[in-house]
Amino acid sequence: MDDLSLLSDFSQFIKEKKLEGVRIVAYLAHDNIPEELFDAADFFPLRLMFGGNDDLMDASHNFLPPSTCAFAQSCIGLFSTKPNEFQFLDKIDYFIVSNHCVSDVCVSEIISKNFNISRLNFYVPYTKNENSLKYFKLELQDLRSKLEDIIGAKISDEKLLKSINKYNQFKKSLLKINELEISGSEKLRVIQKAMLYGPEFLPELDTIIQNFKHNPPSISEISKDVLFTGCSIFINDNMVDLIEEGGGNIVFFDTWIGNHYYSQILDDETIKTDQDPLDLLVLKFENNIYGDHSVPNFLEHKIGLIEKFYQEYKEKKGKKLGVINHIIKFCDHISLMSSFLKDRLQEKGIQVLNLERDYSRANRGQLSTRIEAYLEMM
Amino acid sequence: MSLIADEIIQFSSVLRMAYNLLAGRTYLKRKKLREKEKLVAVTLPFSDLAFAAKTIPVFPIRMHQFEINQYLTYLGSASSIFGWNNVSSFLGFIKNLGIKEISKIVDEIIEDVIEVINLKYNEMYDIGIENGISSDFCYGLKSLVGMHVSKGSNVDACLNVTIRCSAYNKYLESLKAINQGPKQIWVDIPPRNIGNAIELLTDNIANALNEFEKLTGKNVTDNDLREHFKIGNQVKRAYKNIIYDISASDFYPCNPATFSEIMALLSITFQDYNSNAIRYRDNIVSLEKEMRERIRKGIGMDVSNMPRIFVTPMFGGWEPKSHEILYELGGRALYADWELLKLLEEIPTSNHLNPAEEYARFLMNATETGIGCDNDKLTDSYLRMAKNLNADGLIFFQLFGCHSISNCYTMLREKVRRELEIPTTAITFNKIGENVEQVKTRLGAFMEMFK
Repeated sequence: MDDLSLLSDFSQFIKEKKLEGVRIVAYLAHDNIPEELFDAADFFPLRLMFGGNDDLMDASHNFLPPSTCAFAQSCIGLFSTKPNEFQFLDKIDYFIVSNHCVSDVCVSEIISKNFNISRLNFYVPYTKNENSLKYFKLELQDLRSKLEDIIGAKISDEKLLKSINKYNQFKKSLLKINELEISGSEKLRVIQKAMLYGPEFLPELDTIIQNFKHNPPSISEISKDVLFTGCSIFINDNMVDLIEEGGGNIVFFDTWIGNHYYSQILDDETIKTDQDPLDLLVLKFENNIYGDHSVPNFLEHKIGLIEKFYQEYKEKKGKKLGVINHIIKFCDHISLMSSFLKDRLQEKGIQVLNLERDYSRANRGQLSTRIEAYLEMM
Repeated sequence: MSLIADEIIQFSSVLRMAYNLLAGRTYLKRKKLREKEKLVAVTLPFSDLAFAAKTIPVFPIRMHQFEINQYLTYLGSASSIFGWNNVSSFLGFIKNLGIKEISKIVDEIIEDVIEVINLKYNEMYDIGIENGISSDFCYGLKSLVGMHVSKGSNVDACLNVTIRCSAYNKYLESLKAINQGPKQIWVDIPPRNIGNAIELLTDNIANALNEFEKLTGKNVTDNDLREHFKIGNQVKRAYKNIIYDISASDFYPCNPATFSEIMALLSITFQDYNSNAIRYRDNIVSLEKEMRERIRKGIGMDVSNMPRIFVTPMFGGWEPKSHEILYELGGRALYADWELLKLLEEIPTSNHLNPAEEYARFLMNATETGIGCDNDKLTDSYLRMAKNLNADGLIFFQLFGCHSISNCYTMLREKVRRELEIPTTAITFNKIGENVEQVKTRLGAFMEMFK
């Protein structure tokens, strides 16, 4: 399924949701938004996980200077130009203003204000310690109470627990994608679709995974495997194709759209306990150590994860694994840490390509050359 | 620049501040090596806890060797024997006699102070880029990275206070990768004041103080906090008086370009009080007095016919020639970043109050209503400040690579047009001195609106 038909089907899906009276709440796709809470309030959480292009970026310049993250620019562009395949954006009832990064705050605020979408706040603390976890719970309580005001009813603990369980099972299934020996582009398409539709995709996801397990597609013997970290590859972005055309194959997505999302799993025993379901969401936040929002240990966690994956891969496959650190231009988090990440990994003998780009078409040739050169060097 | 220097000679407190800023390295070396004090790197005006913990806060650029004008060095040496007031009076006396050579020397001193600081900032910017920070980040961050790469290993700790800017927070995280030696002390400010957020922040502050205690081996008492807050409050009071009573008034104790130059110096030095809170307090209090005294005597300049142009933000980098250009175009530049961000609010010091909690309230107030957890709040701060200063126009420095503040300009322009009805313009900025001609052109066009 190509991206256009995915979006077209998704438009229909959202239309049907609206007809069922479901409210749509959208947000920039980061990994600390408690979608379980929306689900328990019978909202559909729509993560904005769409890549950009020149037109979308240009369309944002009435609101933001061009030196803003290209993904953030494109999100505004989607609302101000409303391309045909994105008509479902008209159906959004609420927009979450959150602070994954400061561009998240600015863009969400601009979308809410200028495109007349009611705003809901959800702010995330920067550090991870006892007090910040307590603060995260305050935000959850605040959001829960705002949602209850909107629906005019309480969100029961039982219902919230059910949603937590539902998402947990969904992520467990999605996690299996890591084990599949399929091409990176196929993996990514499944992950993207799953994250777009949420747990309703679970039956289809299980079928896809089973099919891949029983009938694994062939992957080129000569392709060079890489771990993909940094900024996500969003729907409508050709990055994965560029890597595959250059002779590479992504075996692990260490990004929002990837492992950051589906590694946030709670064990079933924990969910069964009688604790406040909000505490489970706090625990999930606490366990999300690979996300780029938090300080001060993001770099250590990231290096630890990559090194572990690299060593295990080398042992299993007997060959080296490349690391592509994808930096969407003007991304605060990934860009600022990129030189430190590269230096530290290279000290450990892991070759890293810091690949910075925006969504302009003109970049394509240059990106291909850099990717090919890196893969050849491997 | 000579027109500026001509005036500054009258303010011995400014000479003192400039000297303390530039001669920081010697002072800091003495503190660290002879007196065995702990140096703590601070950025933005968040030095209070470091002072209360009896460490020496330092804005890292001050650890550098500055090429201090030799005469300022002589003045510094003379001041240690005769006192700054006597030195300044002596210079003033000679100057009034019309000895041109002396005037020239003083001109050079002040010109050098400003030039030297700006050159050093640009040098830090280059070091930052050479050491891996992407050129896509703002001037402030690139310079800060440069400061830590070049001198950060000299500090014993870094005091890291999170703010709304995600690039800044990541820069704070990167400090331990730049230099592994210094202890990293964190104060995480919750993004919003909801529930018991103040209580949590108070606890974060208490934890930071514990870390300071481990660093120094000395206890930090409530009284230590109160005593420092009292000094800080005096500094802030004098600073606010200068902003509201003097910079917004129609009679200046000196020409407006000089005045802006002094305000720029205050903005830089306020971050670490030149590493000595009491000395800084004495200087800023006497600066206010000196200004008032001159105004009372009618010495200075009637500026009632010069439009008040609020120039902001400047703390993350701005073109320092702006105020001179504006002056030449018939306007006066007002700088008040720290007040705009609510960092000049006083902290209650009564004995029955918990000082850590009061500090938490101060930080939370700045976060919520000054810096703002979103652009709506931040732009309100600009509006409030422009109103309070009775500004006739607003110039917004849009820093290349700033994703936190520069991004609010579209919203700000809209609000200014709707609520204040004063002219406003944005000037893009990347590096000091890089496009002065363009700044001149933009300011020229802007000032046409007042004719």
